[in-house]
Amino acid sequence: MMRRNRQRGHAMIELAVSAGVMVACLAGTVQFGYTFYIYNQLVTAVGNGGRYAAMRTFRAAGSSDIEKGKAAIRNMVVYGDARPPLGMSPQVLNLKPGQVQVDWVMDESGTRPAAVNVAIADYTVDAVFGIFRFTGRPAVEYPFVGRYAPTESEK
Amino acid sequence: MRPRQKGFVLIAMSVALVLLLAVMGLAFDFGRIYIARNEAQVFTDAAAMTAASKLDGTDAGLDRARQAVARLPMRWNLGTKSFTGVVVEFSPDKRSWARVTAPDNQVEITFLRAVGGPAVFTVPAHSVAAAKPVRLME
Repeated sequence: MMRRNRQRGHAMIELAVSAGVMVACLAGTVQFGYTFYIYNQLVTAVGNGGRYAAMRTFRAAGSSDIEKGKAAIRNMVVYGDARPPLGMSPQVLNLKPGQVQVDWVMDESGTRPAAVNVAIADYTVDAVFGIFRFTGRPAVEYPFVGRYAPTESEK
Repeated sequence: MRPRQKGFVLIAMSVALVLLLAVMGLAFDFGRIYIARNEAQVFTDAAAMTAASKLDGTDAGLDRARQAVARLPMRWNLGTKSFTGVVVEFSPDKRSWARVTAPDNQVEITFLRAVGGPAVFTVPAHSVAAAKPVRLME
């Protein structure tokens, strides 16, 4: 009787130790796996938005036109659509246009864009067992190859 | 009865641990590999366009293209490592297209090594861009 009880205690301790290790490993797997999945989606979104920005017509009749152009690029990153219909869901969970940063790099003249930087300014991944925050990444730089229209204004 | 019971937990645990390492490897290492591949592809896409936009049929144009690619701030490995060994090639007429290859982005494998995987996994990428690209009418 003594012996059996002692054995049962061993099994409990072994289960407790091994279950602790396994749950920790599985939690880590879920946490990193999900975060990587989201990050991969962000890389794709930023890459596509950057390509759109590179080819889009740059209209600069006023500073509000440049801002409207940037808003269209942000929408392309988030929704895959420069003018998303109301209520459209983002391509990456909870990503908002305000979390995307678009910066034009001007050439020597100071008015004509040479390149465009598109980056995720601040995005938090809630992976159940942990939280990851990405600031300034992923980021891309594309050359500006679109039409330059300094006198036109955005619709 | 006792001698047979004694080793059971040890064997069960070691089998479970190998399986667990494999699962962790699938999630962690494959996750990193897929991200690196995507980052490398986005980089070569942008770099090929950058190089192609500098082409004008002269050798100076090729130099400008190579310098512009080298100046690109893009990184990989979750945005932490800069690209090395980048190869930039051009069309023979020096004005039609550029091809960028990022050949040696080596992802270090963490968990899959323990179950027989390689120590590093290379994810190359390459892109070609035309010097006169499509422009959106938008």
